Amino acid sequence: MNARGHSVPARRLWWLAAGFTVWCNALVLLYALHAIGCVFAWPAGALRWTLVVVFVAHLVAVGWLWRKAASAERGAAAGDTGNFLQVVIEWTMIAAFAATLVTFGPPLWLTACL
Amino acid sequence: MSGSVEQPPQPANALRLHRQLAAIWATGPGVQRLAAVNHSVLGLRMMITSFVFFAIGGVLGMLTRVQLATPNSTFMDAGTYNQVFTMHGSMMLFLFAIPMVESVAVYLTPKILGTRDFAFPRLTAYGYWCYLFGATILTVSLLAGVAPDSGWFMYTPLSSNVFTPGINADVWLLGVTFVEISALSLAMEIVVSVLKMRAPGMSLDRMPIFGWYILVTALMMIVAFPPLILGSILLEVERAFGLPFFDPARGGDPLLWQHLFWLFGHPDVYIIFLPMAAVLSTIIPVFAGRPLVGYRAIVVAIVALAFLSFGIWVHHMFTVGIPHLALAFFSAGSAIVAVPTAVQIFAWLATLSHGRPRWDLPMLYVFGFFFVFVAGGLTGVMLAMVPFDWQAHDTYFVVAHMHYVVAGALAFPMLAALYYWLPLLTGRSTVQRLSTVAFWLVFVGFNMTFFLMHLTGLLGMPRRIYTYTGYESWNWLNLLSSVGSFIMTIGFALVVIDLVVQLRYGRRVRRDPWRATTFEWAMPIPPQPYAFASIPHVGAGTDRTEAGRIALSLARGEGYLGAARNGWQETLGVHMVSGKPDQLIVLPQPTYLPLWTALATAVAVLALLFKLYPVAIVATVVIAGLFVLAAQRSGHARDYGPLPVGRGVSVPPHTEVAEAPPWLALICVLVADGTLFASLLFGTFYLWIAAPNWPGGVSPDPSRLLALGAVAALAVGAVASRLSLRALAAAGGAQGWIVLAMLALAGSIAALVGMMGGVTPDPRTHALGATAVALLCFVVVHAGIGLLFLVSNLLRLAGGRVSPRRLVDFRLTRLWLDYTTVTGVLALALVLALPALVSVLGARA
Ligand code: HEM
Ligand SMILES: [Cu+2]
Repeated sequence: MNARGHSVPARRLWWLAAGFTVWCNALVLLYALHAIGCVFAWPAGALRWTLVVVFVAHLVAVGWLWRKAASAERGAAAGDTGNFLQVVIEWTMIAAFAATLVTFGPPLWLTACL
Repeated sequence: MSGSVEQPPQPANALRLHRQLAAIWATGPGVQRLAAVNHSVLGLRMMITSFVFFAIGGVLGMLTRVQLATPNSTFMDAGTYNQVFTMHGSMMLFLFAIPMVESVAVYLTPKILGTRDFAFPRLTAYGYWCYLFGATILTVSLLAGVAPDSGWFMYTPLSSNVFTPGINADVWLLGVTFVEISALSLAMEIVVSVLKMRAPGMSLDRMPIFGWYILVTALMMIVAFPPLILGSILLEVERAFGLPFFDPARGGDPLLWQHLFWLFGHPDVYIIFLPMAAVLSTIIPVFAGRPLVGYRAIVVAIVALAFLSFGIWVHHMFTVGIPHLALAFFSAGSAIVAVPTAVQIFAWLATLSHGRPRWDLPMLYVFGFFFVFVAGGLTGVMLAMVPFDWQAHDTYFVVAHMHYVVAGALAFPMLAALYYWLPLLTGRSTVQRLSTVAFWLVFVGFNMTFFLMHLTGLLGMPRRIYTYTGYESWNWLNLLSSVGSFIMTIGFALVVIDLVVQLRYGRRVRRDPWRATTFEWAMPIPPQPYAFASIPHVGAGTDRTEAGRIALSLARGEGYLGAARNGWQETLGVHMVSGKPDQLIVLPQPTYLPLWTALATAVAVLALLFKLYPVAIVATVVIAGLFVLAAQRSGHARDYGPLPVGRGVSVPPHTEVAEAPPWLALICVLVADGTLFASLLFGTFYLWIAAPNWPGGVSPDPSRLLALGAVAALAVGAVASRLSLRALAAAGGAQGWIVLAMLALAGSIAALVGMMGGVTPDPRTHALGATAVALLCFVVVHAGIGLLFLVSNLLRLAGGRVSPRRLVDFRLTRLWLDYTTVTGVLALALVLALPALVSVLGARA
């Protein structure tokens, strides 16, 4: 047996899901907060700023994950498999960042509870 | 090389090895076929079964087209039409599409990944039987004239007992849930198998792309089905016992159903699409004569797709009155979901354009796919735009979209797959001329049928109507659409004839007729029950070897496990990432247990359907007993330590390692169960926020003392199970701890049942009480299953099936009880807090 990528532990696979889990979390929180705000008639400004804060916090979270993924070990030491996972994980982070930006950013300009 | 299993290859070795392995792995003749647990047998059976339902569903679809061909048709009355179109949709999606893609996964995945079977063969069999029985119940209801008639999505309040008093809706809720048991159990075993059971050396970057697709699809199923299962349970409880989850007059909300349904429904369309994309990603490189372009990009794309598809369910609900700002999240999400889809399409096109494509029959269907799917994707993006959707929603435009994507994403790749893998199944190749004609009939008929529906939709024709007056200017379009559907049907009939002709007169094919590189072609045709006489090794040298070339050496036993041992059905488990072998998995022999368990499940379902609740309870106890019995029979009765598996490698049996398949399976179960729990929490909050008729300031007081007692008892159970594990690991007596844990769980169940009795408002009068009961029930059921785990532990301890080295059972119990405690605390906290929340946040606007 060769030891290609043997050093990569199985728990590294969770990272594949990390970026988009943050995206999902943003969706759930924003959707819920918005519904609660509208139902309980929070002032429009307060509601919008709450949503913006939640949005930015998630963007920062994905950004942080992205940096963390990008800084992981690379090159010959990581082995083919390690490098493969590294690249794939990094790109899921980039995709999740873009998705967060595009899906939750622009809607926050809209009228709050129409 | 070590151990007695290594023998130098001899000329006669292949045949002798074949005889030995066949004797161990074969399913018996006659009735013993009912005991089959082999993935090849069951995959094929499931495929054939799903095609039978495709045929029935197809006939139903044709009936709707006959009805709609002309205005004022008297072919069917409104009631019959409702049953027919509802069953058409339900059958096509639940009884054909999902089982069909699963059957492809079951049949092909182990072979493509170079292993001998799935991790839980008895579960495969149970899944198949559940599918067959559930589907049969639905079909019989059609014959009896009491089929579901509220649409394939069963919207409340139409499907509630006020508007659908008969058993029609119950048939759907119970029957489809029954079928979903099969989908879920297969999904779990696919996840575990893809992660743990591949050819040694097949690290994740070397895994054929098919494996990635199937893995992601199965993970999606694990998360997608629970919301629908929860919705079905709640609606059935409302219909049977009057707990008002969806009844707005009593604090429920019909829209909750739509949320739960589409939370499943949208991911489901990708669950159908991804395995077919897997097929395309496997076939296209073979015909292009070069490796797939953008392997990594595709992996990223399918991960993205999997998640995004869960975040856009509300695009089915754009017209229900949700504020625009929230709609915009889902509209944007729906639009960007096209990006990862496009990544795949461009990867396929690039593969074709960089290679030297061979034009063969499967490619014709691939071409059909491209055309139809891209058109459907475009109308999808159109519908994702809220203002457009307001115009097109609930019209035939949506029917056109969904058929372009579902049928395009399913039927064309499915037929491509059929023609590609048929030589593997039958050992014969197709008769070209007939199949080409068949393709063109299907293609032309398909577009004629469904393209025109875009137009009728834009002209305002609503979905689900059983007739029209003839003055709407839809007449010609509808007639032509019906004609198209007949052309398409003739095309499908030709495919069937072609298959029959092929089986009888097709040319015999040699091994690996397409010169593919995936392992399913590195085996005898048609596949033997043991799949590989010995298991291939994957490494840099083998990456692009044509599979046919290694077949002979595998048949001679030159790979791993190339010898029979103890009559065991052996295969290898590997490290999830690197593919380094880490355990010897010994699979169970054929058994009738799955059949009996599925029959008991069928009895339970029928008893619920006919409201014979005592029978349902007895059946449930029987099912539980059968599961415990199944657990009794697995594993080994003694420690073995590392065993030689060939090529100089020795690994311990799966019973003696930490990362054993059952452990991963339990994690999958908990993910599914956690999703169900999350959906229940979501439902509770949703009703609190959105449902009409919620009181401002009731203060029902659930008994805090009982709640505290229940939580404390759960915690004691969890701790005791931990201590039992520790005792076992130290070779001490574990029985005492197990019994303590059992007592604690029984105590918590008693406390919870006590709480249920005291819930106010009366659960039948208001959703506040109903959700409290639902949450408490959730905890009771989990504590009850915890008891089963403990009973099984006691029995296995007594039977010598566990030892300080064989700890998996006890670790499973510990994990389950931890989970039960955590969800129990959350559920009880919500039960206590909800009435308070209602008053804290004040009146709703
Ligand atoms: C770019 C990707 C897609 C987008 C943006 C999209 C968007 C939509 C939207 C907005 C609707 C709701 C229309 C309405 O009821 O008013 C819809 C319906 C539907 N879509 Fe898609 N879709 C996409 C891809 C797919 C795929 C790949 C499939 C199946 C494989 C699919 C299957 C369906 C089905 C079955 C319905 C109808 C559900 C029903 O109401 O009965 N879609 N789609
Ligand atoms: Cu959708």
